[in-house]
Amino acid sequence: MGLDFGPDTGQDGNIITTTIDKVVNWGRKNSLWPMPFGTACCAIEMMATLASKYDLSRFGSEAIRFSPRQSDLLIVSGRISIKMMPVLKRIYDQMPDPKWVISMGACASCGGVFDTYTLIQGVDQFLPVDVYIPGCPPRPEDLIDAVLQVQQKIDSGTLPKGVSHY
Amino acid sequence: MNEEKEVEEQSKPLVLEKLEAAHADALLAQDEVRGTTVVVVRKERAYAVLEYLKTDPELAYIYLVDVTAVDNSRMESELMQFDYARFMVVYQLYSYQGQCRVRVKVPVHENDLSISSATGLWRAANWLERETYDMFGIHFEGHPDLRRILMPDDFEGHPLRKDYPLRGRGERERFNFDKQNV
Repeated sequence: MGLDFGPDTGQDGNIITTTIDKVVNWGRKNSLWPMPFGTACCAIEMMATLASKYDLSRFGSEAIRFSPRQSDLLIVSGRISIKMMPVLKRIYDQMPDPKWVISMGACASCGGVFDTYTLIQGVDQFLPVDVYIPGCPPRPEDLIDAVLQVQQKIDSGTLPKGVSHY
Repeated sequence: MNEEKEVEEQSKPLVLEKLEAAHADALLAQDEVRGTTVVVVRKERAYAVLEYLKTDPELAYIYLVDVTAVDNSRMESELMQFDYARFMVVYQLYSYQGQCRVRVKVPVHENDLSISSATGLWRAANWLERETYDMFGIHFEGHPDLRRILMPDDFEGHPLRKDYPLRGRGERERFNFDKQNV
């Protein structure tokens, strides 16, 4: 976390010096609230990731919200058709800032094997994707790795200038 | 071998016997594919045949399993013999009473894509016919709500037709969020 321990004052606690960025990022990255957008078999792997065996809550992301207004990590897992894409965009728009997007699996990332008239060839055409996961479908470990990469990304980021509240 | 064949011929399906007796003029062809009786029916008589199959007490095909269509425009087979009808509307029926299936095929010409709706017989036909309309452009006359069911409302064309390009006509690229009512 990059905490610098100050001199022992001899009182009850130690003094810790750090930056607002680091404290806020530390809080954000360890308490991601994912919004699952599962439309295909990737969603099955996502459910497995959240269940007891793989247990995403070890990394602080167990608070799955089915309301986009309460979540900050959108996991797009599955095929997105041209009819579904406005729905997905609407859900992304409803999520409060700051927010991150994981594009899980081949279909969400590039259309996968479905190079057809109806399928969006990669949701990154319409959403700012932070982490892509390859695989068809990816294993739960891959999704865990993606969440950890999102955590790294949050940790290395800085807060936007002029923000008065966090 | 010959005996087996004779046995097969003797056990002619009841549905064929009854259809030949009641609707001989409507039948264009008949076949059996993997134990399922297939009948090809003239379009003008399709509704009457379907009604007969459903309401006849001995047949009682009360379960409409599926309605779909086939685009034969790139097929050179015996199916094309029916005056080169491009489309073939297919009804799959099941009889709980006889525990048997029958497949009713109706040739539909490209220059007249209308066919009687079966929604008056089976309510299940509603969405199935909407799907067939969406994918093939078959117009079901008398359908209460013939709209697209799978593709977006502003979609143009009927994508399961053989002349529709697999990668579309630019729908993926000309994507417009404003036109969609989400």
